[in-house]
Amino acid sequence: MRILCVLLPHFPINCEKMKHHDLASHPVIITAAVGSQKLVMDYSPELQGLQREMPLQQALSLHGTAELIHADIPYYVSVFNKILDALDERSPLVEGADLGDIYIGLDGLQLLYGSDDALVRAVSAAVPQIFEARLGIGENKFMSWLAAYFSIPGSCKILTRDTAAFLKDLNCDLLPVSLKSKEKLHQFGLHTLGQASALAPGPLQAQFGPEGLRIRELANGRDATPLSPRLIEETIEENTTLPSVTALLEVMLVAVEAMLSHAFTKFEPKGMGIRSVNLWTRSWMGEHWEKTIQFKEPAMNNRTALSRIKLILENSPQLGLIEQIGMKITGLGRPNGHQKSLFTSVRARDNLLEDVKQLEFRLGGPQLYRIKEVEPWSRIPERRYALIPLSR
Amino acid sequence: MVADTGKTLRADTAKPVNLPEPLAVEEDADGLPAFVKLKRRQKITAVEDCWRIDDEWWRSEPVSRLYYAVILASGQRLVLSKNLIANSWYRQSY
Repeated sequence: MRILCVLLPHFPINCEKMKHHDLASHPVIITAAVGSQKLVMDYSPELQGLQREMPLQQALSLHGTAELIHADIPYYVSVFNKILDALDERSPLVEGADLGDIYIGLDGLQLLYGSDDALVRAVSAAVPQIFEARLGIGENKFMSWLAAYFSIPGSCKILTRDTAAFLKDLNCDLLPVSLKSKEKLHQFGLHTLGQASALAPGPLQAQFGPEGLRIRELANGRDATPLSPRLIEETIEENTTLPSVTALLEVMLVAVEAMLSHAFTKFEPKGMGIRSVNLWTRSWMGEHWEKTIQFKEPAMNNRTALSRIKLILENSPQLGLIEQIGMKITGLGRPNGHQKSLFTSVRARDNLLEDVKQLEFRLGGPQLYRIKEVEPWSRIPERRYALIPLSR
Repeated sequence: MVADTGKTLRADTAKPVNLPEPLAVEEDADGLPAFVKLKRRQKITAVEDCWRIDDEWWRSEPVSRLYYAVILASGQRLVLSKNLIANSWYRQSY
């Protein structure tokens, strides 16, 4: 399948430039917290030696004078979604893989546009110029990304033949694998894709685990990652700025309850409930926290949804004093049908285990098993999982 | 209600998953798999990949296997392994 990659380099930085026009004058590092660790999310192009997902301390040791900005992820996502919406009008197969990385399936579009040039012009026109979109066409996602990476802003590079010669001298840092694996490749003296592709899969897997095989495939220009076009679904977004910064759970819950009440008025009359909520907060220091909360059964009223959200908030420490709180309801659904029991279903699990034990007693041994991970990292396939009797 | 049998969990009540299944494989002159007998005898048209595992050499039964990802004449993809100690062939999803 031919794929067109639209690469928007330094997407978060350009989003910040849209908000703060004076940002262009000085170097900036955008940080995001992952657990207790702060990582580099993006940086001004003039800052050499930095990489995405690099620990912030490491980045500051190279560029100590750069201004730090906390990532405003909801804003970046909303800008990104607007670009994807615009691209959806050009092609039905649009995937927003990562902030700034967009893949478009080209199969069948030739009939609509006539030529690649016409398609590229239509796609370029859908992306605001500030993002300096780079476009590339390849036979798979990785090849199209490389083509886009090496194209000139505003133009399109097509990579379809003699890919081995093109890949041979490229740096391993271009591989879409973890930063740790890239560092490890360099430690082994494997600096180019040509060197990585020459190795047998065995040694690569022995050193890098499952990612080793992926490294080898990518270095040979093969990428089996399928295109996952985004699904259009109804979403409801609510957010509120708290009257004053707070760390109190009760205050946050009052805000959540108000947002839920407002949201429920939009879909409750249709008999629908919430299946998934993406809850986010923003601290007064600009730090972003978010969590996706799934509901096993659609929450059909405010009280049910709030009790689950309360449980999550109680167990998720916030990054600081909260100034803004919001939610995106991404899954709306209707409740499943249930067979009502005449008797109470309390202790249903105990009853089930009792039945399983009875079955074992009658038939003389374990009958029902569950699969359990034993050594999922093992190179010996039969050591990875085991069947454990369900009744144990 | 059935009373608890009092049986405790022993190592032998846990069952392994994905054990290698013995398979009849014919090798060519270079020792590579050439034909495989599933329901019928089929020619191996391509060897896509090959890797070796040597492990647990400190045990009485060490693991030394050569894996082949092969394509059969029917188009089916199969992962074969050769036990280099017992010199026998198996199929196993990897």
